[in-house]
Amino acid sequence: MANIIKNRVYVSEQAVNQRIKNFDEVSLGYNKEEAVREAKRCLQCRNSPCTENCPVHVDVKGFIKLLAEEKFKKAYLKVKEDSPIPAIAGRVCPQENQCEGACLLGKKYDAVNIGKLEAFLADWAMENGVNEEFNIKEKKQKVAVIGTGPAGISCAVDLRKNGYKVTMFEALHKAGGVLQYGIPNFRLPKNIVDKELSYLEKIGIEIRLNTVIGQSIPFDELRNTYDAVFVGTGAGAPIFLDIEGEKLNRFCSANEFLLRTNLMKAYNPKYDTPVILGKRVGVIGAGNVAMDAARCALRFGAEVHILYRRTKEYSPARMEELHHALEEGVNFKELVSPTRIVGENGWVKGVELVKMKLGESDKSGRPRPKKIEGTEFIMDLDTVIVALGTRPNRLFLSKTPELKTHKWGGIIVDNGLMTNIEGTAAGGDAVSGGATVIEALGEGRQAAKILHNYLLSKKLTTPG
Amino acid sequence: MKHEITRKEYFNSEDYLLEVRAPSVAEKFQAGNFVVLLTHPKGERIPMSVLKAENGNIALVLKKLGKSSRELDTYEVGDKLEAVIGPLGNPIDIKEYGNVVFASDLVCGHAENYAASKALHEIDGNHVISIQTFPTKGSKYLEKELRSVSDEYYITTMDGSYGTKGHYLDVLERLLKEKKVDMIFAGGNLSSLKKLAGLIKPYDVPAMVTLRSIMVDGTGMCGSCRVYVNGEMKLACIDGPMFDASMVDFDALINATSRFKEKETEAMKKYNKDTGGK
Repeated sequence: MANIIKNRVYVSEQAVNQRIKNFDEVSLGYNKEEAVREAKRCLQCRNSPCTENCPVHVDVKGFIKLLAEEKFKKAYLKVKEDSPIPAIAGRVCPQENQCEGACLLGKKYDAVNIGKLEAFLADWAMENGVNEEFNIKEKKQKVAVIGTGPAGISCAVDLRKNGYKVTMFEALHKAGGVLQYGIPNFRLPKNIVDKELSYLEKIGIEIRLNTVIGQSIPFDELRNTYDAVFVGTGAGAPIFLDIEGEKLNRFCSANEFLLRTNLMKAYNPKYDTPVILGKRVGVIGAGNVAMDAARCALRFGAEVHILYRRTKEYSPARMEELHHALEEGVNFKELVSPTRIVGENGWVKGVELVKMKLGESDKSGRPRPKKIEGTEFIMDLDTVIVALGTRPNRLFLSKTPELKTHKWGGIIVDNGLMTNIEGTAAGGDAVSGGATVIEALGEGRQAAKILHNYLLSKKLTTPG
Repeated sequence: MKHEITRKEYFNSEDYLLEVRAPSVAEKFQAGNFVVLLTHPKGERIPMSVLKAENGNIALVLKKLGKSSRELDTYEVGDKLEAVIGPLGNPIDIKEYGNVVFASDLVCGHAENYAASKALHEIDGNHVISIQTFPTKGSKYLEKELRSVSDEYYITTMDGSYGTKGHYLDVLERLLKEKKVDMIFAGGNLSSLKKLAGLIKPYDVPAMVTLRSIMVDGTGMCGSCRVYVNGEMKLACIDGPMFDASMVDFDALINATSRFKEKETEAMKKYNKDTGGK
């Protein structure tokens, strides 16, 4: 048996004092030699818990073995069998809860850095012009995919590989959904997103931007034109707090701030998008979106405070993001909950917080935070950003009342992800309400299988 | 797909008509809808009222106000715009109302009022009354167009240089006293709409007002355009853009729409410097 190497190969990063002044990627990733060295740490254990714990079941052990043997192309193609956008998944998956969380080596030492290895291979393939090679046996049937986020991407790719003519519809002027408007450039560079998406067009998927299904094209019309439909409209609608002071200027949703920053490139002086933050910014919440908003605000030059009702260790954010945020100087105020936003002349002046304590565990296994009565205090802030999650986008759903949804807005699907409407499947955050990129990729893939079966049976029963 | 400018016509030194090729948007447009315009890939997504949607073209009315609209003015017939997205928002109910008033004192309002009054004018039983307000005679536009779709037409100028002196609110007040008004649609300045909400209180007449709030995506994802209606948070982009005037928190909205003023002035100064004040 090989020697056990306890510690991960270090991943180079932009220095903190430098990166807080730019929006370039923080992680510099592995080079060839480092990647091979890290790959050699894999124990190649018998059960592959990493693969089992991956929503798209990437053959982790398989690709790492090839990588350790310096067979880069083969290793990349192995990843690509299951992960349609590895350059993205490698960067944004919460690996510590998935593949790396199950890694046998990780039980005692550092888990293998599977995410960074995946990203390395994808970047290597892009740089060297290595592509998957496959023959598409063209079919006549057409499928519409609504939304160009992760769920839509994986569904579209799998259906296209099966020979269907696939058209993706995007309401915004850039494709990628949350990858484009939500996740900041320093975490997921937009040129990487664009390159991964150009692969979709290369294999013959049509992407139609600026098209709002339900408005530009009514759902009925779409269903009449296409043989099957996948709905991957995501969950981008912000949740507000419903407390006093939300009407004040410089109180906004993390989505507004991130849309302005990421999609509309407010950080780039060549773009027209305005952002106003002032000096002190408070971000309510401690998930990935909160970290993204906090770190963007920091890069605009603000002093940033995360306000969280539990303690750091219960933050639902990806470990790397929490770590980076703290390293960059984001202040983390634990055990506080906002009770009202304080204003003056129509502008935010601060937030009233109440101290919290941790109570008994809830369903998620995290302790339930409880108010400590009478401990309210005011914290001076110029901007308050709320990052407490999102709901399924309403626009498309409000124009398609025939599509059944839960009261909270999620689309109702059966076990196979089919909706109540014939030939229409749904997946990703539009169904779950808010999950991870990789879970959406998994659902997109599952929906592709179901739609493929549906289209096969339809072909058999439709004359001509 | 980019969108070619097919017509550009100045009404006066500030206001102009811009017609853009956008067949799929034009085909689906209904009175009350708006569109989002992206001039170039680095521009803002600007929500705009639509004057007409005909023959695959969308006609918009623009005022040279801030950086984005000044910059848009440098585009000429034959030039292409990055994107026209829509139609967005909810259309108005096209039905018989009876005596229905359309009023506005700002560019966006005049445009959307034309589209809506044209639609209602074609319905039997509707008596369409249009009121337009301008600062002065030289700044008026769309008079002929609005007259052609109205049964009764009023124009006012603030300085009295054309039509009646005063504001549309003055005319509306007189009309409310004189006859039964069944429905009011109004757009334009938010402070005027706030006054309108106060003015109609003693009368039994509903008023739907088009709210201009600051949007980013225009598809319900950011909450930038939120308005408070009857105490509830609504989004102008997907729940509106029209709301019942009697329920709108105008003060909050007026405050919110002023929030980028400093940035806009900055952008304008920079634009003037970069272009030599063109």
